Amino acid sequence: MTYLEYNVKTVPSGWRKVLAINWPIVLLLSAVACIGFLMLYSVAGGSWTPWAEPQMKRYVVGLAVMLVVGMVPIWFWRNMAVVFYALSFFLLVLVEFFGAIGMGAQRWIELGFMRLQPSELMKISLVVLLAAYYDWLPLSKTSRPLWVLIPIVIILAPTGLVLSQPDLGTALLLMIAGGLMMFLAGVHWLYFATVIGAGVGAVWGVFQSRGTDWQLLKDYQFRRIDTFLDPSSDPLGAGYHITQAKIAMGSGGWTGRGFMQGTQSRLNFLPEKHTDFIFNTLAEEFGFVGGFSLLVLYVLILVFCISAALQNRDRFSSLLILGIGLTFFLFYAVNMSMVMGLAPVVGVPLPLVSYGGSAMLVLMLAFGLVQSAHVHRPR
Amino acid sequence: MTRIPLRPLARILDARKKGEDPDAIEKENRRLRHEEMRDRARLRAEGRLLVLAMMFFCAYAVIGARMGMLSASEPEEPRAQATGASIMASRADIVDRHGRVLATNMSTHSLYAHPQQMIEPGRAAERLAEIFPDLDAADMKRRFTDPRRKFLWIKKKLSPEQMQAVHDIGEPGLLFGPREMRLYPNGPVLSHVLGGSSFGAEGVHSAEVIGTAGIERFFDKDLRDPAREGTPLALSIDLTVQAAAEEVLYSGMKLMNAKGAAAVLMDVHTGEVISIVSLPDFDPNDRPAAPTKGSPSDSPLFNRAVQGVYELGSTFKIFAASQALQLGLMTPQTVIDTSPPFKVGGHRIGEFENHNYGAISVEEVIIKSSNRGTGKIALAIGAERQKDFLKSLGLFDPTPLEITEASGGRPLIPERWTDLSTVTISYGHGISTTPLHLATAYSAIANGGHTVKPTLLKQSGSQYRDVVLSEQVTRDALNMLRQVVSSDDGTASFGEVPGYKVGGKTGTADKPKEKGGGYYKDKVIATFAAVFPTDDPKYALVVTLDEPVETSGTKPRRTAGWTAVPVAAEMIRRVAPLLGLRPVYDTGQLDVTMSASD
Repeated sequence: MTYLEYNVKTVPSGWRKVLAINWPIVLLLSAVACIGFLMLYSVAGGSWTPWAEPQMKRYVVGLAVMLVVGMVPIWFWRNMAVVFYALSFFLLVLVEFFGAIGMGAQRWIELGFMRLQPSELMKISLVVLLAAYYDWLPLSKTSRPLWVLIPIVIILAPTGLVLSQPDLGTALLLMIAGGLMMFLAGVHWLYFATVIGAGVGAVWGVFQSRGTDWQLLKDYQFRRIDTFLDPSSDPLGAGYHITQAKIAMGSGGWTGRGFMQGTQSRLNFLPEKHTDFIFNTLAEEFGFVGGFSLLVLYVLILVFCISAALQNRDRFSSLLILGIGLTFFLFYAVNMSMVMGLAPVVGVPLPLVSYGGSAMLVLMLAFGLVQSAHVHRPR
Repeated sequence: MTRIPLRPLARILDARKKGEDPDAIEKENRRLRHEEMRDRARLRAEGRLLVLAMMFFCAYAVIGARMGMLSASEPEEPRAQATGASIMASRADIVDRHGRVLATNMSTHSLYAHPQQMIEPGRAAERLAEIFPDLDAADMKRRFTDPRRKFLWIKKKLSPEQMQAVHDIGEPGLLFGPREMRLYPNGPVLSHVLGGSSFGAEGVHSAEVIGTAGIERFFDKDLRDPAREGTPLALSIDLTVQAAAEEVLYSGMKLMNAKGAAAVLMDVHTGEVISIVSLPDFDPNDRPAAPTKGSPSDSPLFNRAVQGVYELGSTFKIFAASQALQLGLMTPQTVIDTSPPFKVGGHRIGEFENHNYGAISVEEVIIKSSNRGTGKIALAIGAERQKDFLKSLGLFDPTPLEITEASGGRPLIPERWTDLSTVTISYGHGISTTPLHLATAYSAIANGGHTVKPTLLKQSGSQYRDVVLSEQVTRDALNMLRQVVSSDDGTASFGEVPGYKVGGKTGTADKPKEKGGGYYKDKVIATFAAVFPTDDPKYALVVTLDEPVETSGTKPRRTAGWTAVPVAAEMIRRVAPLLGLRPVYDTGQLDVTMSASD
């Protein structure tokens, strides 16, 4: 009995698949999305327009996408990995050239009903391709330099394109997600130690060069780094977001000011209140309790992902689930750190809660893959 | 690790013996090997996952902890503005001799804009223009909507009412910054001494207050010195006396139709300036800009008492008389012939209204203010000794008063000191000094012959420097000055203040023309230099009026006796009780009072 035969015989088929779906994850995702609707309703001043309603529609579409993708056998997605990656890469190149010709730094492609950001798509494609690569690669070759070089190229090519958009935040996320995939796949830890060591050394070198003859960065670049590190040194410019965000969190206290009672966000003090900084609205209106609840929901999603990955004996599926869970984790960890002043402000939305169609659809697509891997797991 | 051999020879041979397919063994072993590898890969993956899980946990812990910390933090609502809120009362107060505040600091707010955060720039501009009439709505709107502009100042200082009004606009792009400003609570009182201040380095959260003139500038470093810890700077000024003096001088200036006036009241024993006035004045809270047109010496910013050098006329005569007595050349009763002609260096020396006083005593020379008499005394003294004496009184150098303007009050003295100079300078012509110089010199006569240093800082006890006159001489000089006021034919008979024995000397000098040589016939500087009370002098007072004219008579009168003296007398009447001087009446007057009460 071949692997395929084995799988086909054991996995559920037809409507039975619906029962095999990982429903806890679907419920958790819906709960998080509902919090998002409430917040968007609140920041619009108690109105379903202009944000909450489109967001709900998108979520319904996303849910459908997730279930459909989840019904498709996982081996189909594995076989399509290279195609997806190539497609995403092509779109990135397209945006790179036509966006530049079009209207400056454009990061999306207009699809009529939504704007597609190829960099969003690339996050998923990259994870899928790396999972497929390590599934295909014999385990003994995992740590051989040549076979380590290939995934590095796979990661760096789109990263370079995204960086030139320029979108530093997404580029970093791509790199970190790719690196984590390699780590999970079992690449020898010395590679990571070398890269991290080199990175730390480079940063150290750059800072040491400051004020010397061989200064590696221009003075104004150093000043930008200073502002990054200490936003209060420039409370009007780069530090403005953070200062306002902290006010919102502080005024929320433990239990919050109450639904629709937030002032910082509703009086327009808070920039990007419906996108990247929506967490502050939550923290202001529902306080620590609300913020922490959302954090717990996210943790639960990740826990269910990890447990699904551990149940799954197929290497591709388990790598894929972990990879998607990790990307998801990275998103909200970076976003929350950012709005709480733990990390520099890089435009990373809060998954499922921030207003934005492209990000949500891509996320639901990704969880569709998780469902597919879960439904079609070898038994 | 030991790998499972695919075709172990013993088992193959064994199987062959039994007739089994040896390939089945290989197949089974291959499966085993696969499973082993898979298990090992799994183990490693789970190890890796564990590492990552630890990292997740740490990230969660940090985010959760941070969330808790922020929630527990006080909701500092105006945080964006208040990050620099710990501004210290960095500049020391200035107080008068009794500790009353002359200059202090007040917390206020500045108003600035972040045009890029504005929601309705047009409306904000219009509302701002309503609140601040000096702002132009169209111009502000243009600047608010300029996409390149990220920041702009709107107002440096706001009143609480204005701040509330701006707050009520509700425009998030309009922001307030805390700012400490200098406040002069008494308005124009003592304006020339205090000078003024402005903002130096300005930030959103604070601004540096720097002194721009007067004592604020002179002591700028000391006032700003953090080591001072806010210890106020105590001046010698008495605020009450200062206010009264300003009021009297202002009324006098108006009454005498003068265009300017100055007064200096000095403690003769310490050199402390109790009150110093220059009119017209200004409000140091809103110090006007330096004038671009006209003579700077007519600007309200000009300190006539300290910067203005004038020929102070006959007030100088007492110096010649005192020096002659000191040198033993004469006694007060020595007779001098003052009848014309008296020619020096080809110039005829005249008297006021061509009087001829005939042969009179030195005392009478002072009382009647004879130019020829004084000139003859001066010639007897000689140029060198005269110069030395005037120099020792501090009349040749700028006064060392503690305001920046003082160094600008450099006396004008002749380059070549001829006999003619000796004569004219003896009656106050050909030498220009400030009223403050004169008050300082009179203090020496009043305090028994000791020079003092004029100062604005509170002193304790006498601050005598050099002895220039003997006590006997000063007694004689004071006696003469007293008679100038008390005798019926004295030039300062209007200077009599009941209860306070006032002595003094008038001086009326024609003003020199600004362009070309010569003097105006109808413009004078009228000065009265007084000391009181003459039996134990405590204070010297100099009152100077610029271009006064008294019009109550049939023809305009400009002499000091008609202009400066009444003003000075009124000033003494007002301030002497404030200074704690008790009126002393002659026994004769006392009798009248007592008999009246019988």
